[in-house]
Amino acid sequence: MSRSAILETRGLSKAFGGLVALDKVDLSIDTGKITAVIGPNGAGKTTLFNLITGVYPVSSGEIYFQGALLNKVPAHKRASLGIVRTFQHVYLFGNMTVLENVMSGRHPRSSYGFLEAALRLPKARREEETISLNATKYLNLVGLGTYAEHDALSLPLGQQKLLAIARALATEPRLILLDEPGAGLNTLEKRQLSDLIRNIREMGISVVLVEHDMPLVMGIAEWVIVLDSGQKIAEGTAAQVQKDPKVIAAYLGEEVE
Amino acid sequence: MLARLKRNWLYLAIAAVIAFFIVIPFGWFLGQYTTLMIFIGIYTIVTVGLCLLMGYTGQVSLGQAAFFGMGAYISAILTTTSGFNPWLAMLIAAVITGAFAYIIGYPIFRLKGNYLAMATLGLGLIMWILFKQLNQSFGEPDGISGIPYLSIGGFAFDSSFRMYFLVWAFCLAVLLISQNIVRSRTGRALRAIHGSEAASESIGINVVRVKVKILVLGAVYASLAGSLFAHHLRYVGAQPFDFLASVKLVVMAVIGGLASIWGAIFGAGTTHILSDEILLRFGDWDVVVYGLILVLVMIFMPEGLFVKLKEVFERLRLRYRRKGVEP
Repeated sequence: MSRSAILETRGLSKAFGGLVALDKVDLSIDTGKITAVIGPNGAGKTTLFNLITGVYPVSSGEIYFQGALLNKVPAHKRASLGIVRTFQHVYLFGNMTVLENVMSGRHPRSSYGFLEAALRLPKARREEETISLNATKYLNLVGLGTYAEHDALSLPLGQQKLLAIARALATEPRLILLDEPGAGLNTLEKRQLSDLIRNIREMGISVVLVEHDMPLVMGIAEWVIVLDSGQKIAEGTAAQVQKDPKVIAAYLGEEVE
Repeated sequence: MLARLKRNWLYLAIAAVIAFFIVIPFGWFLGQYTTLMIFIGIYTIVTVGLCLLMGYTGQVSLGQAAFFGMGAYISAILTTTSGFNPWLAMLIAAVITGAFAYIIGYPIFRLKGNYLAMATLGLGLIMWILFKQLNQSFGEPDGISGIPYLSIGGFAFDSSFRMYFLVWAFCLAVLLISQNIVRSRTGRALRAIHGSEAASESIGINVVRVKVKILVLGAVYASLAGSLFAHHLRYVGAQPFDFLASVKLVVMAVIGGLASIWGAIFGAGTTHILSDEILLRFGDWDVVVYGLILVLVMIFMPEGLFVKLKEVFERLRLRYRRKGVEP
């Protein structure tokens, strides 16, 4: 196991009935880097995210996070380990304000429970103050500080996506998985997104993104992994991957023999 | 300065409401409605638990009357057949009902949406049948009578007047506790689950556990309300805990505004007065009128009557203020 990897998979497979979504994939995600996972539709990119975050159980193979086996860790415990994700469909909490969305991201980093909440004991009040301070910090980081009291779903899509990232960052992850963060954004928003992702890397957080927007990927990814039909077909720097005949074939739909 | 003035007005309004509630049971004021208000208080306690479960967490329960009935029956049986102290019986009822909710919570929350509704409906029916059996085992065919009054030292809650204050003290405690929960880390977790379970898990919320916890809290509320109900009437039968009772509780939560803790008083009040007072005048047509009102509420104010009224009030206030400012 290489020491610089924050996340590794060995022979990772996932089958839904007869459909093999991921087929014996070996991956190594470098600590502190921006890694992109690309591939045509149905390549298994989102399935990979779902396995890493525990949405589905693994069919076979192993996932290691910072050297420890992750397979049996329940989904809700992975956030406190330091793995967090965003979703292609954003999934904001529509019944909350912008700030409350980020505050809910502090869940794994706060501990007061039912009883303390019910009686509003000093511990609850103290923690609530810290939660709100921290949430504001992450909201400002993505540039949404002025919208704190707005309804989350009243924001335009671009800002909703930034908000989802702020909510994820509030959990203080070591590794953040971004599922198509650029989809549906305009050019300006994409540039802001690239800056934010670089910013996140500067904070010492490893970033993995699934993205269809090639200019965005080529602009920020330090390492690119290419999946096709559930298998890893290539990896390397953006420039290397772009020239790989297998990658070109996968995107153009040719047979490679 | 302005904020302080506003806050003073708020305190004044709260004081006025509390004073109003205190004088209700006096003969020279609204004394004839004391019993009605006791029932409204009891139903409010159950409704608040349902609001937390349905309105905040987004989980349907069509069997809440089961927990309500468990409180009433456990209190009734323990005090009549075994001579338990009523307060101790109330506590035991709450613990048993809470534990029961905890045990069924894990399997039941493997289900979602319509399936969850069906499962809770089944739970309500099973418990209702059990209650009817309990009548025969521990009392008369129709119910259990001879339940003692609640009392503290030598002070017995043996009149509606006294019971009124006890019930509303419980009610106030439940409302305040629930409000604290809603505004806390747990409250955010509840709303997060309603918003998106996938996203909730991803930020470290143990979705099933939080759902079970809030089910248990609602069950404990319902059980306490059931015990109060039993000691107030000094008699329990199965009928107040049947399927229609569960539906009535859901209606109370919906009319009060599902995601509104204080609306529960309003929802419980409106629904109870409607179903037990006004609709009786429609004779056989009561169900039709009841249904019609429900349909209209759902179409025109799906967020609940209470929330809608609050909105209208807010709009009027703004318009009034704007007029006041203009030269």
